[in-house]
Amino acid sequence: MRSEATLIEAARQGSVPAFTALVRNYREGLLRFLLTRSSSYADAEDALQDTLINAYRYLQSYDSRWRFSTWLYRIAINNVAKLRPANTVELGDIHDEGNDPLAFCIAASDRENLWQCARRQLSDEVYTAMWLRYVEDMSVKDISAVLERSVSWTKVNLMRGRKILDTELGKDATDDKSTAYG
Amino acid sequence: MDKLAKQLRDDAQKIDCTISEELDGRISASLQGIAPAQSGGPRATTRPVWFWWASSLTGVAAAVALILIVNLKAPEPQPVASEPAVTPLVLPAIEWHTESAVLTSPLEEEMENLQSDLKKAEEAVKQDIDRLF
Repeated sequence: MRSEATLIEAARQGSVPAFTALVRNYREGLLRFLLTRSSSYADAEDALQDTLINAYRYLQSYDSRWRFSTWLYRIAINNVAKLRPANTVELGDIHDEGNDPLAFCIAASDRENLWQCARRQLSDEVYTAMWLRYVEDMSVKDISAVLERSVSWTKVNLMRGRKILDTELGKDATDDKSTAYG
Repeated sequence: MDKLAKQLRDDAQKIDCTISEELDGRISASLQGIAPAQSGGPRATTRPVWFWWASSLTGVAAAVALILIVNLKAPEPQPVASEPAVTPLVLPAIEWHTESAVLTSPLEEEMENLQSDLKKAEEAVKQDIDRLF
């Protein structure tokens, strides 16, 4: 199995198979993220396709000091921003649950998925920061690079996001208890 | 990993999405049709040395011509009229009756307490952030 650096070098020379192998592990995570930011599954797929095409086309500009996923997410976020406002969902502004692709992709559960709640409660950037931190395991430094924000801004807003979701989680727990005990 | 982080991770995994064969095919087909851009942008075309001399000389000649035209067309300087003497504006004297506000000691104490509370809260937030990230 070739290393990421080798694959990047080969892809830079124009090898499509090397690029495909390079992004294989990131595609599903990206699609999942884009799905939470698009107004339909088809839009999320289109955004993923655009992201990968742009990444391949501009691979020369990738700086190896950063993680490859950091760079890929930066492109994905730019693509989502380009789709706005016609094809994307403004976070915190989802009213029609029936058309929400995220709701469609989440299996029925006894409690609300925290990411749906996050989308309602958090701003675009804070939501993205939370996703990158807790789903993609990115460092605060990488997140600030993706969002083009300072490290301290990222820290403070991750903290705020956590507080809001912690409260929601607490509410859920209380609701569960009250249901359990009548 | 704390409870919230675990919950967020688990909930993200519950979002069921897969790359369909159709999408995979579409992406592969699109990639085949494009070539990676070369670094450094478009390469500059090389021009002979005489080209730079010629363009520099043209530029200098144009600048000289412009200076000459502007100076030849400049109007005669008008005699400067003597400035009117400035009369000092006399403002009516206003008598201000002011008294300096003196904070009473309970208010001063209250302010000090608030400031120290603020400092403590700031430190607590800083510690929380450092602990988490």
